[in-house]
Amino acid sequence: MMKKLGKYVFIVLVTLLVVFPVIWLISTSIKYPVDIFAVPPYFIPPHPTSEHYSVLFLEMDFLEYIRNSVIVSVSTVLVAIVVGTLAAYSLARFKLPHNLNTHLSFWVLSTRMFPPIVTIIPLFSMLRAVNLVNTRIGLVVAYTAFNLPFVVWMMRGFFAEIPKDLEEAAMVDGYSRMAAFWSIIIPLAKPGIIATAIFTLIMSWNEFLFALILSQTRVAATLPIGVASRVTQYEILWGQMSASGVIALTPVLIFAFMVQKHLVRGMSMGAIKG
Amino acid sequence: MKQINLARWTERNLKYLLLVPTVVLLLGLTVYPLIYAVIASLHTINIRTGEQSFVGLKNFIAIATDKQFWNALKNTAIYTGVGVTLEFFFGLGLAVFLSNRLVGRNVFRALLLTPMMLPPIVVAVIFKIIYIPDFGIINWLLGLVGIKGIIWEASVKTALPSLILVDIWEWTPFMFLILLAGLQAIPLDPYEAAMVDGATQFQMFRHITIPLLIPAILIALLLRLMDTLRIFDQVFIMTGGGPANATETMSLYIYRHGFRFSNIGYATAMSFIMLVLTVMISNFFINRLKAEEVFTQ
Repeated sequence: MMKKLGKYVFIVLVTLLVVFPVIWLISTSIKYPVDIFAVPPYFIPPHPTSEHYSVLFLEMDFLEYIRNSVIVSVSTVLVAIVVGTLAAYSLARFKLPHNLNTHLSFWVLSTRMFPPIVTIIPLFSMLRAVNLVNTRIGLVVAYTAFNLPFVVWMMRGFFAEIPKDLEEAAMVDGYSRMAAFWSIIIPLAKPGIIATAIFTLIMSWNEFLFALILSQTRVAATLPIGVASRVTQYEILWGQMSASGVIALTPVLIFAFMVQKHLVRGMSMGAIKG
Repeated sequence: MKQINLARWTERNLKYLLLVPTVVLLLGLTVYPLIYAVIASLHTINIRTGEQSFVGLKNFIAIATDKQFWNALKNTAIYTGVGVTLEFFFGLGLAVFLSNRLVGRNVFRALLLTPMMLPPIVVAVIFKIIYIPDFGIINWLLGLVGIKGIIWEASVKTALPSLILVDIWEWTPFMFLILLAGLQAIPLDPYEAAMVDGATQFQMFRHITIPLLIPAILIALLLRLMDTLRIFDQVFIMTGGGPANATETMSLYIYRHGFRFSNIGYATAMSFIMLVLTVMISNFFINRLKAEEVFTQ
């Protein structure tokens, strides 16, 4: 009994340690500058204010950043899911010659290991040649390629869990392979597709390095660039900076809670079914 | 007639057609940059003026004697080595300690997943606020127990440890959740058999738990190693590589040469070295994973 209680106390402490910094950010974002630097610190803001948020939205064009982020991440999800799901289906279902299923799958996995900084210089020169630097399309191309290994591995796992007999029965009934895929397999794989899409959405939403290099102007700059712009000044505006952080993390938290059932699976590229 | 042939051809080659877009995009992501890197690393290129001239291995020779390159490599190695090791042992400890089912497990899991989902840029912002030397929350808390005046990421001595601490906060829950899932997938039979044979707790951990946990360990270490070797966002925001290059990592140093100094040849030569290191480490893990048949469903 004591042992069990001890465990609870322990995990509550660990959880507090994990959650507190995020709560502190939120609390800072609604404090007046005077209260931010109060000693001893206020855990709950004594005079909550939305001042920092108004400045970001009314004077700092944060709506633009948000719009770019939404367009880029949603487009990335759509393209990456379609392209990756098709490949995953082929890898999970067909027998390719020369054990190509395994080789290709692991090649796809190994591309996940490429450091972005290695890719970015060649990619920058390529996108500049076709005038796609500082455009949202350029970012979508880069993000799609980067998220594909994840989508392929996740969907490959989800397809493998669907019995093969289903399409085979449908094909005996006169369905073509693609028709069987579309009307039987896709509906069954829907929970997996949704989870994979949400993970991809979060990863594109959070991405910084490519955005930093490929979107230096307002036409394409995403939200992480907006957040960074509050930090790298001579004088850090603590209130605005924390408010911009809260804006960037809110959708992520909502989506993260939606996929928490698939979390372990998503975080391990589909290797471990949590 | 022709249409029927086309449909038949499509159906027959479907397995390849489905793979084409993915393979093309991933070739663009990997093979093209690789070729580019090999060629560019043998030139000096100014990205603004477009001037380029062949210099052979001069970039690589310059890198070998570039103190700042070795400094960046050292910082990356420390960040990765210390960070991932501590995350692993903390995560494993937590997972073993909490492996039996607790009431409210889902609530804890939902809360614990927060840090790893956050945009890295927001993580950096959070710790910039927490680390404020004069009025920051952590120095105030430490002041209560008599520790005073740590200036965290702003001092040469504490900058790198401060960044590693952020990484540990962000990613220990990841190790914990992956290893916990691995532990819970281990069947009970081997433990029962070992108990009958009179094995001690430690023997069971050493000879049953660890071997069966290897796939989860491999995956967790592989992904974490790859992500710390490339670390950029948090460092860029929190210290920009400073003070006095104390936190400059490989990614940051390559970024500076490539995009601040427009020194493309030099930057790609360094990124080529970084890629070789990364591939060597990841191949070790991927080959082990193949051997363990983790992924063969």
